[in-house]
Amino acid sequence: MSAPELNSVPIPARIQTIRQLTADTSLFRLQLDDDKAFPFIPGQFIQLSVPGGGEVPISPADLPAEDGTMELCVRRFGHVTSLLHQSRVGDRLGIRGPLGNGFPVDEMAGKDVLLLAGGLGIAPLRSLLFHLLRHRSDIRSLTLMYGAREPAVMLFKDELLDLAATGSLRLLLTVDFLSDTGQEEPACNVGLLPTLLKGVRLESSLSCAAVCGPPALYRCTIDELLQAGVAGDDIYLSLERRMKCGVGICCHCAIGQLFCCCDGPVFRYRDIKDIPGAL
Amino acid sequence: MEQHFLADNALGQFLDCLTQYGALHGPTRTSDGVDVFGPIQAGIEGLLLDYRRTLIPPKKYLIPPRQTILNYATATGYTLPTGPAPQLVLFGVHPCDLQGIDYLDRVFMGDRPDQLYRRYRDAITLVGLSCEPDAFCFCASPVKAPHNADLFLQRIEHGFLVSTETSKGKRMLAGLEPLLTKTEAAPPPPVESRMMSRLNDVAVTGRTFPDSPLWESFAARCLSCGACSVCCPTCYCFDVLENGALDEMTADRLREWDNCLFRAHGEVAGGHNFRPTRRERFHYRYLHKYLGFGALAGVPACVGCGRCREVCPVAIDLTELFAEGDDVCA
Repeated sequence: MSAPELNSVPIPARIQTIRQLTADTSLFRLQLDDDKAFPFIPGQFIQLSVPGGGEVPISPADLPAEDGTMELCVRRFGHVTSLLHQSRVGDRLGIRGPLGNGFPVDEMAGKDVLLLAGGLGIAPLRSLLFHLLRHRSDIRSLTLMYGAREPAVMLFKDELLDLAATGSLRLLLTVDFLSDTGQEEPACNVGLLPTLLKGVRLESSLSCAAVCGPPALYRCTIDELLQAGVAGDDIYLSLERRMKCGVGICCHCAIGQLFCCCDGPVFRYRDIKDIPGAL
Repeated sequence: MEQHFLADNALGQFLDCLTQYGALHGPTRTSDGVDVFGPIQAGIEGLLLDYRRTLIPPKKYLIPPRQTILNYATATGYTLPTGPAPQLVLFGVHPCDLQGIDYLDRVFMGDRPDQLYRRYRDAITLVGLSCEPDAFCFCASPVKAPHNADLFLQRIEHGFLVSTETSKGKRMLAGLEPLLTKTEAAPPPPVESRMMSRLNDVAVTGRTFPDSPLWESFAARCLSCGACSVCCPTCYCFDVLENGALDEMTADRLREWDNCLFRAHGEVAGGHNFRPTRRERFHYRYLHKYLGFGALAGVPACVGCGRCREVCPVAIDLTELFAEGDDVCA
């Protein structure tokens, strides 16, 4: 695949459905105007254009679909995402991409795969999860550890519980704290995500972990992952930076001398552990 | 070796001839005393032949400070702006600035090409001019033509030696023949830049001087004004903005100069900042300028023009790090 041009024209798309997940987060299903499949690897991202607002980098939350649809899980955060949240079904959007490298899914074959998601970090990992479930027999085991701030903001909970019920996925959920309403959440631990890793032991040569979440998550889970036995080469971190152009020119997203947008956004821990400010 | 010579008294005619290739722009002084690249309307009048450096480098012709990169309309979606770039002859570009343009060419016409940049670049004819270095600058070669000079004028007594490094320049030179004479005058000897060889060493070895006390000293003084980046011939990092029209039917997407010394440069959605301190932002600038990012890792971006050393209001000079490195090695 040839490298993308710097200033390529976004592919037109429309909003097909909007499903509100929490007070500030919705799942937008897009339909590309040309109805063609938009191939990407889980963990890659697109630049989503909201006309009049601008672009924002977002990793799709599902798998490439034959009919040219795509699911984006977006929190209302800044200028562009606020405008997106004001949009209605049928409104026009644009897409550039896919951009970046994505998760090395082929390397996960035969392994115990651990997915660690914090907050909105579940979105790209949902894409990876769907991929691994589709190719479930290729890997040894599949575990998703997902932490949210409180029960009310846990995304895709029912869907994840349904998937876990099929037996192909081991699901561990945790919340930082319980809601003020005091409503108890069954099957949900209370505590930060790293607490789920306490006491876990994995076979180094047979395990890998994919992590996505807010910046603090990486700093507090790496040591636990290493102690659990996952090698630094097999810890894949999906990092966030302010990616503007998405193709390694605008220079907002450098990590050391690497660019998050085109050398990443998925990095092996071993490759970035010595770069100041990477995590 | 026989060379082309342009006598001082033929320069006016020479400039007139150049206008067939586009509007003539060159170094000139504004009414408030700032040296800039701007239109040269009255031939040799107003042209600064012995300038040191302009405040803003010629990058402004290739990557305008603010540029529309996409148009949006509900009927047509996003489209690339059309229309040709203005044909320009940039006269009097010093070797450092020619090197700067060469660096920008590598960024914007490399493996992630930018159509807009190419459109502007192809419309520009570069006429270089040798320079007399001062205390601020340290370019690799103030008297030698970089390879991208369509024509290069080297100051000698009573005129200029004229050479070319491009095929376009060869065609131009043929047309300018009547204004030129042959001379056996020897070109000035090459100048060695110790600082430039230090920069090249640092780019190769990847040294970052992490323990230098200078970082704290720089960070404590810096005003985050960003002047060093604005005036740098190879600083190109840009922000992308979109302005929607009030009718909600059309919008323009803009690219505009950004600045890694600004606090917002490392912010992400939600407010987390990956470079919240001035020290971290200096490191970022240092890495990009002297070690290089991405495909240009290992290529120093500093061309030694001296602008950042001259304009910094608090006399920050990143090259002091290299001098310190020498002491450590000694």
